[in-house]
Amino acid sequence: MDKVRKYIPLILSILLMVIPFILGRNPYIILLCCLIGIYIISASGLDLLFGYSGQISLGHAAFYAIGAYISAIASMRLGIPVFLAMFIGAFSAVLISILIALPSAKLVHHFLALVTLAFGEIIHLIVANANNLTGGFTGINFVPSPQIGNLIFDSNRKYYYIIYTAVILFLLLKQAIVKSKIGRTFIAIRENTHAANGLGINIMFYKVMAFAISAFFTGFAGALYAHFIGFISPETFTINHSILLLTMVLFGGMGSLSGPIIGAVVITILSESLQRTGSYQMLFYGLFILIVLLFMPKGIAGKLESVTKFLRKAVKSSAKN
Amino acid sequence: MFIQLLIGALLIGSVYGLMALGYSMIYKASGLLSFTQGELLMLGAFIGLTFYRYLNLPFPIALLITIIIMFFLGLLVERVIIRTLIKKNASVIYVVLATIALSIIFKNTAMQVWGSRVLRFPPIFSVSSIKLFGIAMAPEAVLGLGISIICMFCMYLFMQKTKYGTAMRAAAQDPIAASVSGINVSLTTGLTWAIASALAGVCGMLIGPIYGVGISMGALIGIKGFAAAIIGGYGNMYGAMIGGLLLGIIETFAAGYISSVYKDFISFTILIIFLIFKPTGLFNEKVIES
Repeated sequence: MDKVRKYIPLILSILLMVIPFILGRNPYIILLCCLIGIYIISASGLDLLFGYSGQISLGHAAFYAIGAYISAIASMRLGIPVFLAMFIGAFSAVLISILIALPSAKLVHHFLALVTLAFGEIIHLIVANANNLTGGFTGINFVPSPQIGNLIFDSNRKYYYIIYTAVILFLLLKQAIVKSKIGRTFIAIRENTHAANGLGINIMFYKVMAFAISAFFTGFAGALYAHFIGFISPETFTINHSILLLTMVLFGGMGSLSGPIIGAVVITILSESLQRTGSYQMLFYGLFILIVLLFMPKGIAGKLESVTKFLRKAVKSSAKN
Repeated sequence: MFIQLLIGALLIGSVYGLMALGYSMIYKASGLLSFTQGELLMLGAFIGLTFYRYLNLPFPIALLITIIIMFFLGLLVERVIIRTLIKKNASVIYVVLATIALSIIFKNTAMQVWGSRVLRFPPIFSVSSIKLFGIAMAPEAVLGLGISIICMFCMYLFMQKTKYGTAMRAAAQDPIAASVSGINVSLTTGLTWAIASALAGVCGMLIGPIYGVGISMGALIGIKGFAAAIIGGYGNMYGAMIGGLLLGIIETFAAGYISSVYKDFISFTILIIFLIFKPTGLFNEKVIES
C-alpha cells in the first residue's frame, strides 16, 4: 500500500499534464481546471495559516488582490517581465502580511478574524478608490500574458501548464514546510500556545511567519489569476472571496494536503453549476454551506476518515468471525 | 450644519450602538461572533416596510410586530442551528461560518421576496421637516433617535431591574454557577440571541425611513457594529452603546468636514487600531489570550 502511495503524486501529475489533450476541445472545462488550480494554491496557503498554525483569516482576498494588482501594474506600467512581476506581486503580499501580522498576531481567534476582516475591507476600499493606479471600479484591462522567449502563453490551454506547474511546486513547498521544523512548530502553536512557549518557541516569530508564507501562496495565486483572466476589478476581491477560500478549506478538511484540493475542486464545480440557477445561486450556496456544517462538521475529509474507520472495523470484525 | 450633523451622527451612532449591544450580549452568553446581525437589520427593515407600506398598519404597530417576529427569528436561529452545532462539538470557527452562511441565506431570501431594488419607506409624518431650536430637520431622524434612546433605556432597565435580566447577566458571567443556583442557562442563551435579533430589527426600522430599504443595507452597518463593540470593549454592554455613539460622531463629522470618501475607511481603521493598540476597548474588557 505504501509503495503505491509513493507514486500517487507522480501519477496525478502526469494525469494533470495530459488533461488538456483529452479535454482540449472543451474550452470551458480548461477554464474551470485553470480556476481550480489557482484556488488550490490559494486555499493551500490559507490552510497553512488556519489549518496548521491555527490562526484564522477573514481577509485573504486582500492578499489575493495585492498579488493580482501589483503584478498587473508592475508588468504593465514598469514593463517588468510577467514571471518576475508575479513574484513581485507575491512578495508585496508577504510584506503587507508581515505589517498586519506583527501587531495583530497576539489576538485570539474572534478578534484576529475581525482584524483580518477589516484589513480586507480596507484593501478593497483602497483598490476601489485609487483610480490613478488601479483604475477604480472599472479595473485594469488587457493584463499581459506571460512569455518565455518566443513562446507566449496567451491561450487557456497554454496557461494551464503554467498554473499546474505552479500548483505542483506550491504543493511540494507546502509539504516540505509541513514536514520541516517550521511545520511542526506551527502545529505546536495551534495545539497549545502556552506549552509551545514553554518549550522556547518564539511564538510571535512563527505566527508572523505563518502569515507571510500564507500570503505568498495566496498572493502568487492572485498574480496567476490576473494574468490568466487578463482583467481585474475590485468586485473579485471582496469579503465573499475570503469566505469562499475559507469554505474550501473547511469543506475539504483543514490541516492536510488533500483537504484544500478537494475543497477547491468541489466548491468551484458546485458554484459554477449553481450559476444555472440564476438569482438563486447564492441562496443555494449559503444553504449548501449550512447543511455541510450541520451534517459533517469535520469537512469531507473528516467524513471520509470516519467512513474508512468504520469500514476497517467492519472488515476486522468480519475477519474475526 | 453642526446641529444637523450631530443629529445624524447620534442617530447612526445609536444604530451602531444597538448593533454592538447585540454582538456583546451574544459574545457574553455564547462566546461567539455572530455575522447575522447586519442581515437581521435588513430583514427587520423589510418586514417593517411590508407591514407599514403594503398592509397599511400604523407605524408603532408595524414596529411592534417587527420586533416580535425578529425576536422569534433570533430564537429560532439559536435553537435550530447554533445549538445543534454546539451539541455536535463543532469548533467555534464552524459556528462562525454557519452565521456567515445564514447571512448569505437571509440576504438572498430577501432578494427573492422583495427584489434587489432599494425600496422607499413612505414618510411617517405628514410634514417633511420640523423646526427644533430654530433648525429644520427630518422628523424621521428625530423619531429614530427617540426610539433608540428608549431602546437603550429599556435594555438597561431589563438587564438591571428584572429577574430575567439578572439571570442573563449571571449566566453570562458564570454559566455553571448560574445553573447551580437554578437559572435555566439554555433559556437565557436563547433569549440573548432573540433580543439581539430584535434589536437589529429595530435598527432596520430606524434607518429604513431615512436611507431606504435594500438588500445590502445591513452589510456595512453589521461590520461597523463590530467596530463599535470593540471601541467599547467587546462584551461590555454599556461600552457598546458609548462605542457606537463615538463611532457615529467620528464618522459623520469626518464625512461632513473632510470627505465622505473616507467615511468607511475611517471606521475600519479605527477597528484595526483599537484591536492592535487597545484590544480591551475603552472599558477594559478582557479579550486577549493571556
